[in-house]
Amino acid sequence: MDDNKIEWIKCNKCGFIQYKSHLRCIKCKNNKFEKINVVGTPTLISYTILYAPPMEFRDKKSYALGIVEFENGIKALGQISSQKGLQIGMKLKPKFEKICDDLDGKEIYTYIFVPIT
Amino acid sequence: MKSVAIIGVGHTKFGRSKEGLLELLCDASLQALENSNTYADNFDSVYVGAMCPGKFNNYTGIASALVDRINLIPAAADHIKNGPASGGSAIKAGYQAIASGMSDLVLVVGGEKMTHITTPGFITSIVATITHHEAERLHGVSLPSFGGLLTRAYLHKYNAKLEWLDDIAIKNHKNGSLNPYAHFQKTIQEFMESAIKKGKGNWANIKEFLKDNSRNPIIADPLRLFHICPISDGAAALVLCNAEIAKKYCDTPILIKGIGQATDTHIIYEREDITTLKALRTCSDLAYKMAKKTPKDIDVAELHDAFEILEVVESEDIGFFKKGEGAKAASEGLTQIGGKIPINPSGGLKARGHPLGATGVAQVVELFWQLREEAGKRQVSGATTGITCNFGGFGNNIVSILVERM
Repeated sequence: MDDNKIEWIKCNKCGFIQYKSHLRCIKCKNNKFEKINVVGTPTLISYTILYAPPMEFRDKKSYALGIVEFENGIKALGQISSQKGLQIGMKLKPKFEKICDDLDGKEIYTYIFVPIT
Repeated sequence: MKSVAIIGVGHTKFGRSKEGLLELLCDASLQALENSNTYADNFDSVYVGAMCPGKFNNYTGIASALVDRINLIPAAADHIKNGPASGGSAIKAGYQAIASGMSDLVLVVGGEKMTHITTPGFITSIVATITHHEAERLHGVSLPSFGGLLTRAYLHKYNAKLEWLDDIAIKNHKNGSLNPYAHFQKTIQEFMESAIKKGKGNWANIKEFLKDNSRNPIIADPLRLFHICPISDGAAALVLCNAEIAKKYCDTPILIKGIGQATDTHIIYEREDITTLKALRTCSDLAYKMAKKTPKDIDVAELHDAFEILEVVESEDIGFFKKGEGAKAASEGLTQIGGKIPINPSGGLKARGHPLGATGVAQVVELFWQLREEAGKRQVSGATTGITCNFGGFGNNIVSILVERM
């Protein structure tokens, strides 16, 4: 899978890049956006390893979650494929996979981040 | 705008309770009616703060149920929901009712009943529904995971030490040990001694005890169990009235001098800096301005330490310490009772416990006692002015209340 699937939006008035759910720009309230894709390999800003998962993830004993920032300023939160050797500032690569079945039994596919070694 | 006074309070013991949510709310409310000498009076309005009574207790219309059970009919009754800041928002609603002139006598009660839910992950999942559903929740976040992400970012940015957060837990448990309403009335030293007695291990001191994964497991790395508040049952209540008639009921009313509420981005990574709580800066600023006070005027504070890192970040963004200096200041004892600015003499969420909707009200109840010199062994001597931070969502909807002795 390619990393172009991570799509955010850019305000066409002030240029602020933000998550795609905003109907009005989180900076300037404008309501026109263009879609933009992530650029380059993201850097890890912070991470945690969660040992008390919510019910959707009860089959897992623990998993890592991180916030990353791409080269064009897009930030994203997702699970990290490894729990070992994580460090703020390290480079990762997005990958799409099934992360769980939700409580209605629906398969959830999304991006996770894989450390580049 | 009318001035608003607090004339009486109620507080159930927090912890594991056999009572249901409605019984806890009634208990705290009746205590507050008695404490404020309003038992025979007619109330104009009632505000009930509770985060999830529908999901946790199958209650819809909890405020209507309460006024019937304790007969405050025909008072207007509303259920106020703002996540873990439901209590703070309920107080704000009560304040507005009196300040506007629409009501003279108001009951505010906050509560939650949670410990009967034993399914692993159920409470975590329900509480996580306050996060952004696509950008955050879908990926498996929980509130403690945000605590972990914030802690690691803070320690990295400010070169702070995780053991400084241990010092905050030690302080809050010490304060909680002096609070007869707290969920945990035990110091961490006492937790360690009781584990040694039960043959669970042997540790040279509490610092070693807190490093032991068997007694203090990692929950959301780097946060361990003792960095995180418990799940609790409980309720707390306030009777508010138009300050012009307060002395009719009570010799020492406490005034709500300032109140502010503000929001921030729903997605935490859309904030310029995840270690800064802009909503708290905004809402505490509103409260200080309304009260014509500054952080220097504050004698005691009740902050929302659902995770000990939050007490640190809040102590900075509410104006007590410079950014990056809060953890060290706490480890040096500046926030202890008797320190420069005592924080959470009640024990905070860590030791008093965190029945979600009750917390924001319990914070103001504690300040009521502190400012009237009724806080017993945990009294902050000579305190006349206090402030709270009640944190909703993960910092995206915060209420701050500034109170002063009349």
